[in-house]
Amino acid sequence: MVEISVTATSSDPPNTKSEEEADFYPDTMRKTKPGLKRLFLTLTVFISFLIALPFLLKSIEIYRAPLPFDDIDLLSTEMEKNHLMFPCQFQAVFVNFDDDITAVNELALLINSHMQKLTSENTPPCGTCGNNFTVAVTIDSNSSCIHCESGNGNGNGKWQCGVLNGYDKMNDHDENFDDYLESVLDSKSKRVYTVVVVNTKQEDVRVVVGKYRHAWMVGIDSVEKAVEKMAEIFIKVFVNAGKEEGSIRGEFMPIGADGKVVLSFSLLNSDPHDWIYDWDFKELDEILLAPIVDALRPVADISLESQVLYHTPKSSYSYWDDTRGSYIFSTKDLPFFVNSNEWHVDASTAAGGRSKVLHFVLYVPSAKECPLKLQLPNGEISMTNGFISPMWGGIIVWNPPACVENFQVQRLSRQKISSEDLKMISEVFMGQLRQLFGLKSESLYVGGFATSVLLTSEKGFAEWELDVLSRHHTCFNLLQCGTTLGSLSRLVQSLPRMIIMDEIGKQVKYSLEAAKLSFGNVSLGYSDASAVSSRKARALAEDAFYHPSMMSVSYYSFEHCFAVYSPFFLPVSLHVLLAVIREWKRYKVENRKYLAWRVKLE
Amino acid sequence: MFRLRSILVFLVLFKSFGSIIGEEEEKIEEFSEALLLRPLPDRKVLAHFHFESKVPPTATHGSHHHLFPKSIYQLVHKYRVQEMELSFTQGRWNYGRWGGYDPISSRNAKPPGVELWATFDVPQHQVDACWRNLTHALSGLFCASINFLESSTAYSAPKWSFKSFAANIRYGTLHREAVCTENLTPWLKLLPCRDKAGLSALMDRPSIYRGFYHSQRLHLVSNEFDLTAASSGMVLEQTLTVVLQPVTLGSGMVSSLGLIQQPSWSLSSLFGREVSGRCVLSNASNIYVQLEPNLVSELMTTSETQQQSDVENLMSQAWSDMSFEMSDSPVRLIEEVYGFQKESSLLYEFSLANYSDSRPFNLEFRWKRPVTWSSQLAPLQASRFLMGSGNERGAIAISLKSVGRSGYAESSVNQEGRCSLRVDVFQVVPWYVKVYYHTLKVFLDERLHNLADVIERINVSPSEDKVSPGLMEIALRLPCDVQLVILTLEFDKGFLHIDEYPPDANQGFDIPSALVRFPEIKTKIHLFEDKCVCKSPILSKLQEESPVLWYTEVLLVPLTTPDFSMPYNVITITCTVFALYFGSLLNALRRRIEEEERLLKSKDTNASGLIGMLLSKLSAKLRGKALEPPSLPLSSKVSYRLILRVILVAGIAAAWQYFFG
Repeated sequence: MVEISVTATSSDPPNTKSEEEADFYPDTMRKTKPGLKRLFLTLTVFISFLIALPFLLKSIEIYRAPLPFDDIDLLSTEMEKNHLMFPCQFQAVFVNFDDDITAVNELALLINSHMQKLTSENTPPCGTCGNNFTVAVTIDSNSSCIHCESGNGNGNGKWQCGVLNGYDKMNDHDENFDDYLESVLDSKSKRVYTVVVVNTKQEDVRVVVGKYRHAWMVGIDSVEKAVEKMAEIFIKVFVNAGKEEGSIRGEFMPIGADGKVVLSFSLLNSDPHDWIYDWDFKELDEILLAPIVDALRPVADISLESQVLYHTPKSSYSYWDDTRGSYIFSTKDLPFFVNSNEWHVDASTAAGGRSKVLHFVLYVPSAKECPLKLQLPNGEISMTNGFISPMWGGIIVWNPPACVENFQVQRLSRQKISSEDLKMISEVFMGQLRQLFGLKSESLYVGGFATSVLLTSEKGFAEWELDVLSRHHTCFNLLQCGTTLGSLSRLVQSLPRMIIMDEIGKQVKYSLEAAKLSFGNVSLGYSDASAVSSRKARALAEDAFYHPSMMSVSYYSFEHCFAVYSPFFLPVSLHVLLAVIREWKRYKVENRKYLAWRVKLE
Repeated sequence: MFRLRSILVFLVLFKSFGSIIGEEEEKIEEFSEALLLRPLPDRKVLAHFHFESKVPPTATHGSHHHLFPKSIYQLVHKYRVQEMELSFTQGRWNYGRWGGYDPISSRNAKPPGVELWATFDVPQHQVDACWRNLTHALSGLFCASINFLESSTAYSAPKWSFKSFAANIRYGTLHREAVCTENLTPWLKLLPCRDKAGLSALMDRPSIYRGFYHSQRLHLVSNEFDLTAASSGMVLEQTLTVVLQPVTLGSGMVSSLGLIQQPSWSLSSLFGREVSGRCVLSNASNIYVQLEPNLVSELMTTSETQQQSDVENLMSQAWSDMSFEMSDSPVRLIEEVYGFQKESSLLYEFSLANYSDSRPFNLEFRWKRPVTWSSQLAPLQASRFLMGSGNERGAIAISLKSVGRSGYAESSVNQEGRCSLRVDVFQVVPWYVKVYYHTLKVFLDERLHNLADVIERINVSPSEDKVSPGLMEIALRLPCDVQLVILTLEFDKGFLHIDEYPPDANQGFDIPSALVRFPEIKTKIHLFEDKCVCKSPILSKLQEESPVLWYTEVLLVPLTTPDFSMPYNVITITCTVFALYFGSLLNALRRRIEEEERLLKSKDTNASGLIGMLLSKLSAKLRGKALEPPSLPLSSKVSYRLILRVILVAGIAAAWQYFFG
């Protein structure tokens, strides 16, 4: 230490001084050990600063609820990689076949392999069965009844042999036979898809798919053909609902996250100066649409609303065609048909939250573009004169009778669309609704070698179609949930100074739990429960993503933090750092001096 | 063609006639449109558009509509709205010049910005939730920031100023809301013809927003949820009131008598457009030109000198030889019947049914000679101002000045035979203006009056900081002969949290308009009931009695606004002081004084260089120690230099200050 060295030099006895003076250079040596007091002091301050730094950072930290990023990534990759596969149960029934034709087990295997072939043609879309199915085969001959199940079927809805004995009405009326089969099979509660092959002495092959969960084939005598057709019906009809590649995929289900759909019907009078048409929507609602709403209840909660709008011209062009005697608009004009400036088919206030609104528009052309017809790409005139826009709704152009007759008489008075026309319109709307849900609107399915007849339900949707919808809905919800949570996690990770409320963390957690539950239910085959939990998962994920606190960029920005803390910490840390460095340097120098003196001394 | 048209007219007449007759049996949706034009005394023209949609109740009619806007219907059903009035206003109604004693001014003169009040048919505890949801729905519907009325500091619950003793009413205003075409377009969307056809086609945006006053209003009455009364469904009344300055046609502004010639106008000069036919969906589509009572009497007195004429004459006679002329002949002339008074207004009715695209309707109104008149005024002219100065306290004063007419008084004589006038004052004050309601003073003709003598009823709900605004409703009973009434209220200016200041805090804070109401003085247009069989909704609306209203000015209160960078300044200064303290403490701790002195000494012994010497001398001087007596000339030289240097620096600073300061 300095003082000590000073006192040491001053209080040295004068007799030793003279001899030591000779080889003692105060610039390069010292006699005492350099002190550690000041170095220790500055180091303490410095280290305490270092220790306090994490506390400071902790105190100015922005609250971010921990999000399970790994789980989110897992969910989204799982949804992307392997699609959700629902377990399905199929049953094949051979009536009046000889029981010795082949072993029942072999038949089951044969059907299985055919189905495998059909499913492996392309990667199964989400919401199908994939390879996760069981096939039960029953041979019901006059004498015996042989039953066999592949996989772990639980014998649900097992075919009672002999119920078709003496039942010869199957050719009379498909509807009656369909109902009879339903009463026998009771597929409503058991959810088993059945195909019955009846071996009759009949020339023409007839394949009918019923309104419930079964189909039957008549007039097929060869087992191989029957098996082939059977597999086709199972996979292409019951599982895929006759969808081909390129049609609307299951990823687009027009159902809101809360399971609600609002069907908004609008009647557009493009120019009320020519004529004003009105509809009795009450009639349309109560008689024609109410059964559909009822039928779709398991899949979606549907509400209806209607309005009549005026002065709503279309925004695309049409041209006069002499040979057809009408104005023509072609399919390439369709993207411009909807005039969003003038068609105020607004989202309704009733559809609060995240209900999905589907618009159905009945367009009444004005006198200068009437009759207006839609030309298909193949040059023909469309039968329905309407088209759909996926996830938006459907449009029908309805040419009023007045446009061919002398309309001068009826001008300016309000006319009702006749109930026959209204019925036709509602049928087209129904077809459009089916298409929007991704189902076919034809009543025939053209398959491998025989065309199947699809019985139409008066409710608009057959049971097996509703199954398909419900599966797709679940799949769509989980997919949406995965993408929403994925983008949420990406957003959160990309903005490190964003506040994340606890609520968001909770919502994400619950959403993931619901998604997991839905997955579990799917694998167990509880389709209703899985639909409910998938809906919940999606709703929670969207709640989290659209949480109001997410929208506001953090008030506590980094600039603010810097501005608040730098006036203190910048000068102080400079002081401390410089002090430490200086003391350290000085200590090293002094120590060297002392060492030099020691060396000298020895 | 003519026959066809007459048949059509007949049909239209018959239809509307039938709708009145058959009101009991079958109710249908109705829509009607009308435009009322009125020349104003100060060379302006009032245009009042009136659209009305009616729908029968859901119970009998169902929920599917043909004309009634779906969004409004859904709004009513979702939030169970009983009555609602929403207005978007730009500019201020000039009560002194444009009149304050007629149905249009008492209904359509609104405070600037947005005003919304609504009553709900829900239990008391749900009213606030309904109101909040309604404000959000309306702000989405009308592209306006009505959702700011959601916060409890922005709305209040008046007891009896709007609807008498309605418990579930909420009232709020946004005076800073800018009203423009983005609010008009959604409003027009509620009309079946929008602005594609009919009278609304006149609404050329540049012309109507160029006006002096612009008020777009939506009034909704629904008794859908009223199960006891015979429900009449919903009535949606949409009005647009604009005051326009016509582009003067021709010259000759000042006549020989020194009177100012009123400007002649036409529809196309006012709006820049013509009407090409009616909206085909409306039951009635009429244009009215109204002449105010004072104008009619003025015209009559002046024409009496020229020729013998009276009201009958005025009706039968062609208007061309009067002091003005109109380009089209009206379908009807409706005369107000108002007791025995001479003053009565005139309404010229024009029907749009006869006009079409090929023959657009362009009404022209041409003055032939200069006329001056004044509008009918409200019994008391209200105005409001601030008193006091400084940023601490002040006072609000509401003055009611008599216009010097006692014609209103006859209806308000009480039992004792004394003439009295009842005046209701409704005032909402934001919480940061802390009003002391006990300081309420009433001066009648500049004499302080006892409150109990004047105030009939009072309802005060004091403001709560950051929770609710203050509300005051007073019913005053004034003697008729009073000339000047002044109410004063003292207040303290509150402090806001730094987050609560609006972006432009230095502009000041607004106190919303006070509403002065004369509940006993009702105004309406008196028409012969049997004379107009095919009543149009606008006429029946004008015939309804409504109390005279007066909205006062919006007050601007300057509050203390902090320097918003202050927190940073404070932080910076404090931190700097702390840093200085800390740094010096650290230095003091690690300083080696003796070693330094020793070093200094050793340096002194072998001091070299002029600067080092100077420095050591300077430091010695500053310490106040005469270290060693230096040679005198050197010292004087140094101090001389030092003084020079200081002077130089001071000069530079002064120059800087002079040139750049």
